Amino acid sequence: MSVTSTAGYLARRAAQRERVRILYRRALKDTLNWAVHRHLFYQDASELRERFEANKKVEDLDTIDRLIDDGEASYNKWRHPDPYIVPWAPGGSKFTRNPAPPAGIEIVYNYGREDND
Amino acid sequence: MALRAAILRHVRVPVQTLTGGRAQLPYGGSLRFLSSHDDHLSKDEVIERVLSVIKSFPKVDPSQVTTDVHFQKDLGLDSLDNVEIVMALEEEFKLEIPDKEADKIDSSNLAIEYIYNHPLAG
Repeated sequence: MSVTSTAGYLARRAAQRERVRILYRRALKDTLNWAVHRHLFYQDASELRERFEANKKVEDLDTIDRLIDDGEASYNKWRHPDPYIVPWAPGGSKFTRNPAPPAGIEIVYNYGREDND
Repeated sequence: MALRAAILRHVRVPVQTLTGGRAQLPYGGSLRFLSSHDDHLSKDEVIERVLSVIKSFPKVDPSQVTTDVHFQKDLGLDSLDNVEIVMALEEEFKLEIPDKEADKIDSSNLAIEYIYNHPLAG
């Protein structure tokens, strides 16, 4: 095997590994979105992990690509319509909400009625 | 001018220093405001919480966990375990790490640095 084909093989394997990691990450988050409670999530997460582990030993590059494509298609099909978003992130419940005033600033709620009237 | 100088000599504006900081807070400073991110996490706290998350991962031997441990080389985990640890860290610190950046976090040292430098880690 020549040097270029070895390098090409390794680059393709690295790209596939990254795709699998990101697919697993997204799928795991989506599993948490679908599970209402933690104890349901643990079971679902281990089933998801088993689906990934089942194809751990596959060596053929084209087969791996096809499996990853299948996995991504399945992920996209079952994606949660209303996923959990961390509150400060775009789309979260605290996104662009006014921050708390700095320490030492006091808000006086007397609605414009100062001491002199 | 003389009048102004005389007035300035006698008029004093009381200076109030802000008594604040975490030491003055009730509950021994452990009170965390839900709506503000003004007080940032200290490095020690980040280290302690990151290590406790890694130690509580089921496949990890807690005695091997240090601040510069590599998840896959030192702890014998695989890449999917790495993904699970990063997700656990995200939940612990209420973060949302982009996929490409989360993919690069592969050691506790990197995780501590990333979380400590994140402005919204809580």
